[in-house]
Amino acid sequence: MRLVRAPGLSSAVTLAFALGALALSAVLALGTYFSARQLLLDQRERTAMRQAFSDAAMVRDNLLTSGAQVSDVLGSIAPPAGATIYVRRHGEWYSSSLDSSGQEATSRLQSVVADGSVAVGWSDVTDPHAVVVGIPLAAVDAEYYEVSVAEELDRTLKTLGLALAVCAALTTLAGALLGRAASRRLLTPLANVTEAAASVSAGDLSTRLADTTDPDLSALVGAFNNMVDALHDRIQQDARFAADVSHELRTPVTTLTTSLSFLQQAPDLSPRAAQAVQLMGGELERFRRALEDLLALGRLDAGADDPQFSEVGVRELVRQALLAGQRHGSMLLVDGQGGPDPVVEVDRPQMLRVLTNLFENADLHGGGLTGVRVLERGAFVDVHVEDRGPGVPADDKTRVFERFARAGGQKEGTGSGLGLSIVEQTVRNHHGDVWCTDRPGGGAVFVLRLPARTGVAP
Amino acid sequence: MAAMATRLLILEDDDGLRASLRLVLEDEGYDVVEASTAERALESVAEGELDLMLVDLMLGGMDGFSFIQRARPLTDAPIVVVSARDGVEDIVTALEAGADDYVTKPFLVEEVKARLRALLRRPSISSTDEPRPGEVFVLDGSDGPLVFDRGAAVLARGEREIHLTNTEFRLLSVLAENAGRVLSRSSLLEHVWERGFFGDERIVDVHVRRLRKKLEREPSEPSTLVTVRGLGYRLDLR
Repeated sequence: MRLVRAPGLSSAVTLAFALGALALSAVLALGTYFSARQLLLDQRERTAMRQAFSDAAMVRDNLLTSGAQVSDVLGSIAPPAGATIYVRRHGEWYSSSLDSSGQEATSRLQSVVADGSVAVGWSDVTDPHAVVVGIPLAAVDAEYYEVSVAEELDRTLKTLGLALAVCAALTTLAGALLGRAASRRLLTPLANVTEAAASVSAGDLSTRLADTTDPDLSALVGAFNNMVDALHDRIQQDARFAADVSHELRTPVTTLTTSLSFLQQAPDLSPRAAQAVQLMGGELERFRRALEDLLALGRLDAGADDPQFSEVGVRELVRQALLAGQRHGSMLLVDGQGGPDPVVEVDRPQMLRVLTNLFENADLHGGGLTGVRVLERGAFVDVHVEDRGPGVPADDKTRVFERFARAGGQKEGTGSGLGLSIVEQTVRNHHGDVWCTDRPGGGAVFVLRLPARTGVAP
Repeated sequence: MAAMATRLLILEDDDGLRASLRLVLEDEGYDVVEASTAERALESVAEGELDLMLVDLMLGGMDGFSFIQRARPLTDAPIVVVSARDGVEDIVTALEAGADDYVTKPFLVEEVKARLRALLRRPSISSTDEPRPGEVFVLDGSDGPLVFDRGAAVLARGEREIHLTNTEFRLLSVLAENAGRVLSRSSLLEHVWERGFFGDERIVDVHVRRLRKKLEREPSEPSTLVTVRGLGYRLDLR
C-alpha cells in the first residue's frame, strides 16, 4: 500500500524546472565567483609585492647607510595602512607594530625566503586574510616580510558571493514559476478532456472536444472525439438490438396469449391441465409485461414518445391512477389544506403510467402502498408515494432507477425490472424529477416532482 | 328471429396469430373470414356483408394503410388496427386513412374483444319513424342548414345527405347531446371508444379532424366543432 501519493504532473514539472534553474545558476555563480576571486587575488598580490619591494628597498638602504639597528629603522618608516612589516635579522624578529605574530604569519614563506628567493603567500592567521610578501635582504643579512591585511578584498568577495547567491535563488524561483506556468498551460487541454469525459460518463453522448489547430493536441482531440463517436454508435446499436428483438417478439407473444386465452375458456380441461394452463398464464403475463416495458423504454430512448402536454389536476390524476389499479381513492391523503387541485402540464397517459409504476413498485418491493400525498411547493408540485416496506438502503437509492436493478435482498422475478427506469425517463421528458427517500416513521417515499403550470398566480 | 352472426374479417399475415384470433373470436360468436394479404381481403370487402375488420399494418404486398384507404369507400364496417407499429405517425396515418381504433401488439385478446364490442354498439335508435325531440340537432342554421338527425342516423346539409362512419356517428352523437359543453378528450375516449384510462388521446383528435371535414364549411377554421385549448372540444349549435 502506498502511503505517499506520487507528486502530480504539475508539481513534477515545477520541480524539474526549479532544479534545472538551480543547477544552471549555481554553475554560473560559482564559475563567476571563482574567476573573479582569482583575478582579485592576483591583483592584490601584485599590489602588495610592489609596495613590499619599495618598502624593503628603503629598509635595506637605511640599514646599509647608517648601520643602524633594525628597530630604529622600522620606527622611522611608516608602513602603508593595514600593513605590518616584520624583519628577521640574526634570528631576531622585529616588527613595525606592537604585535609580534610575525613568526606565525610568515611561517609558510620563511623557508623559501631563507633560501634567497622572493615569496608571496596568504595567511589565514589574521582576520581578515592577509597577503604576505617575503623578500630576502642578502646585503644586510636579513629577511624582510610585509603582511598587509586584505580587508577590502574580503569584503568585495563576500559581497560578490552574496550577490551571486541571491541571483541563483532568484533564478531558481523564476524557474519554478516558469515550470508552474508551463505545466498549467500544458494541463489546460487535459482539464478540457477531463471535463468532457466526465460529461460523457454522466450520459451526455453529444459532448465533443472543440477542434484545435495545435498539431500537438489535434491527435488527442481527434482520438477523444472518435472514441465518443464509437461509444455513441455502440450504445445506439445495443439499443437498436434490444428494440429489434422486442419488436420481433410482439407477434409471437400475442399469438401465445391469444391461444392461452382460448385454452383458459375451454370447458373440458382436466384439473391438472387447468393447473398447467394457469401456470403458463402467469408466466406469459409477466413475459408480456416485460416486453411492453422494454418497448416503452425503447420508444423513450428513441424519443418517439414526445409528451403531448395538457393541463391536468394532480389530485384528480392520482385518484384516476389509483382507481385504474383497483386501489381505493382514499389512498390519496389530503393534509389539512384542501385548497384547489394544483395543475401541471403533462401527457396524461404517460403520467398515469408513471404513477401506476410507482404504486406497483410500492406493492412489489415496499410491502404495500400506504398512501399518496400531493404537496404544493411553489414552482413545483410534489407527489409522495409512500410504502410500509423496509425502506431503500442508501447505496441503492439511485440504483433502483437503473434498468434491471433490484434493491438488495429482493426476490427475483417480481416485476420487469424496468418500471422505475420508465418512471425516471418519462419524468425527465416532463422536465421533472423523481427520487427516493426514507419516511420518518419507516418505509420509503418516492417523490415525484413536476413543474407547476406557469403563468397563473397561485 | 335469430340474429345474423356478425361477420368479422381478420387481415393478418402471421398464420399463428390469425389462427389463434380466429379460435377466440369464433368463441365470441363472430363469423370469421380470414385473409393473409390485403388483395385477398379487398375481395372479401367487395363481396360485402362484412360488419367488422381487424387489420394488421405490415403485410407482404399491399400494406394495411393502403388497404384501409381502399376499403373505406366500399364499407362502413369499423376497422380496428392491430399492429406491431406503435409510432405516433403510424397510428395517426392509419386513423386518418379511415381506421376507427387501434391496438398495438403485444395485446391481450380481451382488449381486442372490448374494442370490437364498443365499435359495434350503436346508440339505441328509436323504434318509431317519428323524430323525437332531442333527437334532431340543427348544427348550423345558416343557408343550407346542417341538420343531424340522431334517431335516423342522418347528417344532411340542405337536401344533401352527408355520409358518416359508425365512429363518426357515435362521436357526433355524444358531442350533440352535450352541445355547448366542453368535453375533454379523455371523456370522449371513454364514451365513444369505451377506452379505459390509458387510451391515447390522439385517436380523438384524428376523428375530430375527420368529422370537421364533413361538418365545417372551412375545416381549418372550425366554427361548429371548436377546440377549447387545454380542455377539449365543444359543439356549438347556431
